[in-house]
Amino acid sequence: MKKTLLASAAIALASTAAFAADGIPVGHLADLTGATASVSKPYSQGVADALKYLNAQGGTGGKAIAFETVDYAYEVPRAMAHYKKLLDQKVVAIQGWGTGDTEALVSFVAKDQIPYFSASYSGHLTDPNGKTSAKAAPYNFFYGPSYSDGCRALVEWAADDWKKKGGHGKAKFVHMGDNHPYPNAPKDACGAYAKEKGLEILNPIQYSLKPGDFKAQCLSLKESGANYAYLANTSGSTISLLKSCETVGVKTQYMGNIWGMDEASLKASGEAANGMVWVVAAATWADDNAGMKLVREISKISDPSGAEARPVHYMRGVCSAFYMKEAMDIAATLPGGVTGPNIKKAMYQKKAWVPAGLDGVCLPSGWKEDDHRGTTQVMVYQAAVKGADISMKKVFTADIPRRTEWLGW
Amino acid sequence: MISTSLIPCGQYKTSYAKDTTLFETPVSRAFCVAGVVLLLALPQLGVSNYHLTLLIQIGYLSIAALGLNILVGSTGQISLGHAGFFGFGAFASAWLNNKFGVPVLLAMPLAAVMTTGLGLLFGIPAGRLKGLYLAIATFASQFILEDFFARADWFSGGSSGAMAGTASLFGFDITGDRAYFYVVLFWLVTMVLLGSNLLRSRDGRAFVAVRDHYLSAEVMGINLTKYRILSFGISSFYAGLGGALYGHYLGFVSAEGFTILLSIQFLGMIIIGGMGSVMGTLMGTAFMVLLPEVLEIGFGGIRAVAGDVAWLTSGLAYAKQASIGLAIILFLIFEPDGLVHRWKLIKSYWKLYPFSY
Repeated sequence: MKKTLLASAAIALASTAAFAADGIPVGHLADLTGATASVSKPYSQGVADALKYLNAQGGTGGKAIAFETVDYAYEVPRAMAHYKKLLDQKVVAIQGWGTGDTEALVSFVAKDQIPYFSASYSGHLTDPNGKTSAKAAPYNFFYGPSYSDGCRALVEWAADDWKKKGGHGKAKFVHMGDNHPYPNAPKDACGAYAKEKGLEILNPIQYSLKPGDFKAQCLSLKESGANYAYLANTSGSTISLLKSCETVGVKTQYMGNIWGMDEASLKASGEAANGMVWVVAAATWADDNAGMKLVREISKISDPSGAEARPVHYMRGVCSAFYMKEAMDIAATLPGGVTGPNIKKAMYQKKAWVPAGLDGVCLPSGWKEDDHRGTTQVMVYQAAVKGADISMKKVFTADIPRRTEWLGW
Repeated sequence: MISTSLIPCGQYKTSYAKDTTLFETPVSRAFCVAGVVLLLALPQLGVSNYHLTLLIQIGYLSIAALGLNILVGSTGQISLGHAGFFGFGAFASAWLNNKFGVPVLLAMPLAAVMTTGLGLLFGIPAGRLKGLYLAIATFASQFILEDFFARADWFSGGSSGAMAGTASLFGFDITGDRAYFYVVLFWLVTMVLLGSNLLRSRDGRAFVAVRDHYLSAEVMGINLTKYRILSFGISSFYAGLGGALYGHYLGFVSAEGFTILLSIQFLGMIIIGGMGSVMGTLMGTAFMVLLPEVLEIGFGGIRAVAGDVAWLTSGLAYAKQASIGLAIILFLIFEPDGLVHRWKLIKSYWKLYPFSY
């Protein structure tokens, strides 16, 4: 009894000492056990590995980036409590995760002036001054095309594909996703663009973010006769949907959002995912260029053998961390040093920005004071699955026009 | 419930009124008052924002858990739908503030009253059911309310949620944890006093009679249906108030926060704390809120001692999830009467020292 008391007292003392580490504090929220864990794990591993690698290379301005990956299990109250803790630690930036925490924290990070790099690519986060959307998001940044732009690119591909196939009349387009901010984000914007491109919009079909049996939804899909189905959920539930629809015998072209598919999910879905297209916004593990060599080095931090093939989300996590670090480098040269507002200013300094060493991995991005659309270039990949032979290749690159009415939408 | 109340000799009551006071001895009353004064002074003493967050969380969750304790612990009704009412209070308060411009501090009790109406409504079928069927009926209310929040754009903002405004008193904005702490503390003290008072009033005694032996209670003339529905109504008031405080604290209310998991967490709080007792609710809620934080400190210590081991981050995440369930199971096995019983045993040990056998 005495021994356990002494031991726990020692650990408590040691843990308080650990927080006094020197370095620039940065927050890192991840969902390792919640609803979106299947895609959050590789992404947050990418962020963590990249930050550790950058620290090993000397950090930013000679100081290490002090961060701790905290799991909030997609429970917004836990994210809020941790945010308060981060405020106490005086963080200068936060690597966030999903729609839940990002939406809840938009006004708080704006008030506290802390740049928030999310993995939620919701359209309205691109409107920093609240010109078109209800809420201004001046301190929100994300690397990659927004969900709306991603969906628009898929619609362009679908219109192209319909013409190539020699389809008669209007192609039928349906939005499938859970009734939740993340799948709902691109629904209206994408529907409007699809109408513009001459597709017919059918009633949306709902399927849960949690994997399950979706044969009912697949029957609705079959009966609706949709030609192109946009799947707005993460890969976990999309796998279940594809398999259920394969059993029901649905013949629709599936188009997934950026979180809807990756290499591991292709293996799990098997032939059900054959021919599916989805949005990719960084290089894939199979690509071989100078930037990917660096990514493989970074991957060795958590996987020394180098044998693990990282899914596409890992690369985007690395890009997000690198952009933040380079912004911190620029902020260090501004008066006041590395502070939240300076990092925000630093994000606007470069155009066609690719982080040093990651050529060929991250899409050239540029953020502006009144336009937080980092990149409007969208790559569409298509999967080919035959038995155990799985491959994916780029079939389309869309350059979505930067229309002013599309800012924040 | 085992209740050992050892009043030291010299404490005698000279009237029935004095016998039914909330506090048994002047000393316990003094301790309680001192505790409240300490809490009032806490934000001024320079406690960190993070600790204030934890206290505020304990505050609004205790209010809701107290409502559930009145329903489950004192009236013997099982409810798996408490998170739905908690969420309804949060959305109702935001709705009243956004749509009708009702000041936040007034919208909170009004939202609680709205939730009471809803609770009475759901209590009507529940008032005739017992045991497992009651559990299923309340389970149904949870899912009905969850789906309602996700779809009712006019009320809850649909799936994207609703913004909850900041409270303001006479034009002075209550922003920041230090100020909001007082709002939560005010309501906590009020509701705890009301709850304790309820249990010594006629209706409270009727609740206990319904719990202990409903047949005898009915024979004695207690209207079972009326008291069961009333119990649902009262517990919904508490849940609605707790939810309103939660909503305005976060500044943003979203439907995904009010799932069946939260209902089970509330049940966990009262099981761990001790069913049927007000102090037990506070202890159980404090336990549930502080357990993930204690685990984080523990893992941080392991990290400081052993270095950055790969499994620590994910291990901590899993430990947090597993610990709550494990705590409920361990408490049910080793301490079914909850923390408050353990506390009473500790108190009696010292009161009877050295004769505590």
